[in-house]
Amino acid sequence: MGIFREKDGITRRQFFKGAGMIAVTAVLAGVFAKFGIDVFAASDDYISERIAGLYTLDEKMAIRRSHKNPEILQLYKDFLSPGEVKPLSEKAHHLLHTKYGQDIPGLITELQKHQHEAA
Amino acid sequence: MSTLQTRGVIHVTDNCKACDHCTFICPTGAISGRLGQKHHIDQDICVNCGQCLINCPFGAIEDTSMVAKVKEALADPEKFVVVQEAPAIRVALGEEFGLAPGTNVKNKMYAALRQLGFDKVYDTEFAADLTIMEEGTELIHRVYNALGAEGFEHAGPLPQFTSCCPAWVKYAEDKYPHVLPHISSAKSPQQMFGAVAKTYAAEQLNIDPANMVVVSVMPCTAKKYECNRPEFVASGYKDVDLVLTTRELAQLIKEKNIDFLNLPDEKADKFIGLSTGAATIFGATGGVMEAALRTAYEILSEETLDKVEFEAVRGIEPVREATVEIPVKALGKKLPVNVCVVSGLKYVDDVIEDVLAGRSKYHFIEVMNCPGGCINGGGQPIRRDTY
Repeated sequence: MGIFREKDGITRRQFFKGAGMIAVTAVLAGVFAKFGIDVFAASDDYISERIAGLYTLDEKMAIRRSHKNPEILQLYKDFLSPGEVKPLSEKAHHLLHTKYGQDIPGLITELQKHQHEAA
Repeated sequence: MSTLQTRGVIHVTDNCKACDHCTFICPTGAISGRLGQKHHIDQDICVNCGQCLINCPFGAIEDTSMVAKVKEALADPEKFVVVQEAPAIRVALGEEFGLAPGTNVKNKMYAALRQLGFDKVYDTEFAADLTIMEEGTELIHRVYNALGAEGFEHAGPLPQFTSCCPAWVKYAEDKYPHVLPHISSAKSPQQMFGAVAKTYAAEQLNIDPANMVVVSVMPCTAKKYECNRPEFVASGYKDVDLVLTTRELAQLIKEKNIDFLNLPDEKADKFIGLSTGAATIFGATGGVMEAALRTAYEILSEETLDKVEFEAVRGIEPVREATVEIPVKALGKKLPVNVCVVSGLKYVDDVIEDVLAGRSKYHFIEVMNCPGGCINGGGQPIRRDTY
């Protein structure tokens, strides 16, 4: 009754089934991995490229330090701190500085008072 | 409290497929929703950064638009409309017209804005330089105060945090009120520009500031929220009236059939339009820090830097630190200045906890909400090709 006894190892059919499944899994894994790598690489690429664009532009600028900007110096001399370049002047404080969180309602009252006095 | 009338810049539309991607992107955990149900943004926690918007695979998240109001102002002959553009716009706007990311289109951008009908084309970079003057001086005062110098008692505590990013400021106000004295009192460049435009520039041009409309082009959706904050009325008027994103500017240019790529190269207008390289790099993470270091170094040392680049603060890692030795002439010795740069609000909590516990070694900390800085802001061209 040898034909009822199971053979050792696997049949030809089982081999194809198993190998097929492994192959399909491998292909799918590759596709998904590639997809993931693409998303990761691509999303980082444009960020780095835009950053590089700014640094290249910086290198091409004639003036590269804020305190050497002639229009800034003019703004201080003519308007914010007449006659000199003095950051944190009274006018600079009024126009260029702010407050945060629970100090905001007080700041708004202060600004309204200033407005009233100016009028 | 700080977020009166400024709710809902970002909202989820009915196109939401409930894929849950945005809940992982959101730096503050403001988005919730069950799988299969339209997601919801909690406006009390949302910092309006728009990272969910630019990362949504279905384009189902939108920002409030001010485009109609900008068109209205441009069409009104009574209004004198001036425009400012953030540094990050000039290296990304070209993407909407088929150019590679990082291509500088600054001079074509000025030309396009003139063709759109803006009366004066200025530049936010001018205000970025102004920010460095004020914020840098403030930092120097805080350092002198910490060293016990006389006459600087009014200066705030160290470390000093940057204040340019409205998403970061709102986050600190909402979650860490005790850290607020550490944030520079200097306004962001956008708001400084508005305040100066409606006072100094209006005076120079002999224009009634009541008729002036200040429009910003920003890489950022949180700037729409910032311009509506009730305290930004130092000029006596609303300092910045309207904000467009990079995407919306591109849309206006396309609607008007302007041949962007063949525009002539133009320059910004004078008085408040000139900029420097230090201002240009504000758009990248670490840029504000580097610009501040260039100025603080030269002012404190009274020397001229041979090399203006501070490469140690560059990069795209979320948290970077560096120590810069500055020879302070007034003290006659070298002062090691410890700086830290954070890009991505998700990474800021540990840095803040250290500051509040008094164990932070830093003197100056730059925080930007968006990974990579403003060039990756919520108002920038969307890179759907990456999905």
